[in-house]
This record gives sequence, structure tokens and C-alpha cells, in this order.
Amino acid sequence: MNSAELIETPEWSFASIAGYEENPLLTINSEIIIHTWIIIILLALALACVNFILRYTVIGRFLLIQFVSFFVDLTKQSLGFFTFSHCVFAGSLFIFITLCNTASIIPWLEEPTRDLNTALALGIISFFYVQYTILKTRGPHLYIKDLFQPFFVMFPLNIVGKLSSIISISFRLFGNIFGGAIITKLYFTLIRGSILLELLGILSGMNFIIVAFFTLFEGLLQAFVFAMLTLTYISIGTQESGH
Amino acid sequence: MLMHNSSEFVHYGVVASSIVLSSISVGLGEGLISWSALNAINRQPAARDDIMRVAIIGMTLVETVAILGLLVSILLLIYSNIEITSHFSNYSEIGIACAMGITGLVIGLASAVPAQAACYAVARQPFFTQRISGFMLMTQVLIQTPIISAFLVSLFIQGQSNSATTMSNCLRLIASGLCVGVGSIGPAIGLSAFAKAAVSSLGKNIKAYDKLLSFTFISEALIETPIIFCLIIAILLLFGIPQETMDHDFDGIIFLAAGLCTGLGTLGSGISSGKTAAAACTQIGENPGAYNILSRTSILAQSLIETIVLYTIILSLLMILLR
Repeated sequence: MNSAELIETPEWSFASIAGYEENPLLTINSEIIIHTWIIIILLALALACVNFILRYTVIGRFLLIQFVSFFVDLTKQSLGFFTFSHCVFAGSLFIFITLCNTASIIPWLEEPTRDLNTALALGIISFFYVQYTILKTRGPHLYIKDLFQPFFVMFPLNIVGKLSSIISISFRLFGNIFGGAIITKLYFTLIRGSILLELLGILSGMNFIIVAFFTLFEGLLQAFVFAMLTLTYISIGTQESGH
Repeated sequence: MLMHNSSEFVHYGVVASSIVLSSISVGLGEGLISWSALNAINRQPAARDDIMRVAIIGMTLVETVAILGLLVSILLLIYSNIEITSHFSNYSEIGIACAMGITGLVIGLASAVPAQAACYAVARQPFFTQRISGFMLMTQVLIQTPIISAFLVSLFIQGQSNSATTMSNCLRLIASGLCVGVGSIGPAIGLSAFAKAAVSSLGKNIKAYDKLLSFTFISEALIETPIIFCLIIAILLLFGIPQETMDHDFDGIIFLAAGLCTGLGTLGSGISSGKTAAAACTQIGENPGAYNILSRTSILAQSLIETIVLYTIILSLLMILLR
């Protein structure tokens, strides 16, 4: 398949890229759910080995301790103080989203975050956790009072502002992973046509660069930004001590 | 006959503008880099080899923009729609000119700015050329993300332009190109302001390298979020709208408005988000001990600034979906 056919084939519809048939918000993509479950099983298997890694491997223990202390530092840095539950929440979000974003390096697996539904679900989870934390810290009276700040008229705008954090956090994740997935898919469809191009791609390291940048680097970065922004929203909500 | 001539004129105009606009900015950018390199050599003649090396690395990366513009022009020349009777398929290529031309014009100049700052930084710290050039490379690669998304959108527009036979279809393709093209102006200016501040503060205080590196990753990801929102709207315009639902010409105006809404909405927030992060970066370079409070404040401010883009993207989505 040459490049002309590639960009002119009707297969290149929204459905083929994202896996939807009709409206992306109303259709459930069964493949994505299966892939998410595979990632959850992989994660559970890895968690089952943690005890073994901590006891018997030196490098694994070092890496685990580094990772945990990194997240403790991150929590302190974003919130200004350390809270165990926030740290655990942000850390587990980071691990899960990183695995979801970089899932395509495992053969016959696709990134679940390429689906808008997964990204929105993660955004909604983060939103409810943030709102629950603010409600717990500020108390119901102050929480409702904050919605009417600075004037009574601002109530709808405050509600929209709170809800827009879902769209902000989930569209950022979805857009980045989706764009990267399109670029890698386009590139690999392009070189699949001839053996010469495939050899050239492997030998020149172009395949590696594309995968490393658009899958590994973007995936890690976006997962980190997601966890970081959740902590930042908590810090915005809880540190607002009156106007 | 007149119609046929005008559609040919548009086709070749698009072919020319895609390469011309990006090469103008690349030419200017490379000129600026060599100007700064000469100034830096004047300042620190002993480090002239290092400065020249950094300048050449910077120039090769800036040239990527012109190469992508050339690629699009060649693709357009090879797969031309001249024989097709409907002139709308040629008019819809204006979207490619908007996407590639405007983005190339901005990105070429924007990605030259960190290389300029890197020349002065090497003149100040000649023993850390390796680190400074690596840092510059990374910021330049991140600045050039918009041109990749514009290239992608141009490919899709080219693929769909054959089947664009109605006014609304043609305007839809132009709108998606405009969205990406106009939308990349603000974030590109912000990214370049941030990268300049980051590289020059690295030149002033090389000990803050680790902190500046992690801060750069997060900040550039946050500054270029508006571009991702524009890409989402452009992809939605390209693939998310069923063909049978747009039978009226009035729909085309709605698509154009939706694309321009998100595109123009990113302008202010991209610039101001970049300026905020640049100020924080300069302070981190001067006082690495205050990294925690500075990065927290900067990220907080940036996530608040981004809310403005969200309002425009919500409006665009409503316009497209509630037609």
C-alpha cells in the first residue's frame, strides 16, 4: 500500500481510528474493555510479586523505594504538606494511566486511553475524589458557600468552572494519546508496504524513535501530568481560605 | 471556464503557500540563530567551536519545519485534483494552506528562539556545552509538536478533498485546517518565551539543571494543551460528522465558526501560560531552593489560565453537535 492509497482509502474514518461505529459517547467499545481488563490483570500480577521483589531482589527494591519516595516528594511539593491518602491515590492513578498509555508496545494490545470513554472515566474519578476531599476539608457549609463567591450571581459560572476540570483533565489525556496513536499507526501502515522501507525503518532506528517518543515518552508524561493536576486541583480547593 | 481557472489558481496557490510561508520563517529563524552565534562568539571567542556546534544543531532542527512544508507541497502536486470537475475539492485545499502555512510561519521562528538563547548560554558556560545543547534539543522538539499535528491534519484534508463536492463539505475541511493553523499561534509564542527563559536560566545557573529539566517537561506539556484541544476539534470536524447530516450550506458556516472559535480562543491563554511559566523558570534559575513553591504556583496559575480555552472548546463542541 503506497501513501496515495493510504490517505485516500475510506478505511481511514473516525471509526477505524478510534474504534467507534457511531457516537463515541454512546457506543461501548468491547475491545477497549477487554484490553483494560488485560492491563488490570497484568497490574494485579505485578502487585502479587511486590513482596517477593522487596525481599529478594536488590535492584527491584531500589527502584520501588525510589518510585515511592518520588511520589512522596511530589505530594509534598504539590500540596505543601504530606497526606498518605492523596499520595496513594495519585500514585495509583499514575501507575494505571502509564500502563494504559504505553500498552501498545505489547503485541495485539491497544491503548485504552485512546478511547474517549476511558479518559472521561478517569477524569470523573479524579473529579469526585477532589470534590470529596474539598468537602471533607472545608465542611459542607463552607463548600456550598464557596459556590456563591464572590457574588450570588456567580453560582452557574462556578459550577461550570468546577465541571470543566473534568473536560480539561480527560481531553488532555485523550488528545495526546489519540494523536500519538494516529501518528504511529500512519507511520507503520506506510512502511508496511515494502520490505525495503521496513528494513530501512528498523536499521535507521526510525521505528524506535517514533515508538519511544509518541508512546513511551508521551504516555509517561501525560500520566504524570494527570496525577500532578489532580493534586493541584486538591491544593486549589483546600487552600482557598475565604475571599 | 473562469471557474476552472480559478480552482486551478487556488490549487497552485496552496502548493506554493505551504512551502513559501514555512521557508520564510525558517530562513528568518536560521538567520537569527547565526546572528546570535556570532554575537556569542564575539563575547567569548575561546568557545567558538562549541557555539558553532550548538548553532548548527539548532539550525538542523529548525529546518524540519521547511522539510515538512516541502513534503506537503510535493504530495499536493502529485495527487492534484485538477481533473475533477467539482471546483469545491480544490477550494477545500485552502485548509491545507491555513494549517501548514500559518503553523510553519510561527513554528519556524518560535523554534529558533531557544537555539538563540543556547548560543549565549554556551558563551557564558563553555564547559557545559553538552548539557545545554541537550536541553535546547529537547525544548525544540517539544516546540515542534504543532507542526506534526498540522501535517497530520493536512494529510487528512488532502485525503478527503476528492470527495468534497458541496459547499458545506468544503467549508468543513477549511475550518479544520484553520482551527489547527490559528490555534498554534498562541501556544507557539508561549512555548518559545518559556524555552528562551529556561535555556538562559540554565546558562546562568547550571546547578539548577535537574529542577529546570523536570519543570520544563511539565510546563511544556501544560502550555501545549490548547494545541491538543485544537487537534481534537479538527479531527472531530474531519471524521466525526456523518456525511448525510450536512445537506445545507448553512452548516458550513457553523463548522467555520466552530473551528475559528477554538483556534482564536487559544491565542491569549497560550501566550499568557507561556509567560507565567517563563517567569517561574527565571526565578527557579536564580533561586533553586524555592523550587517547590515556585513550581506549585506556576502550575496552579497555568491550570486556571487554561479554563478559558475550555469554554471555547465547549462552545465549539456544542455548535458542532447541536446543529
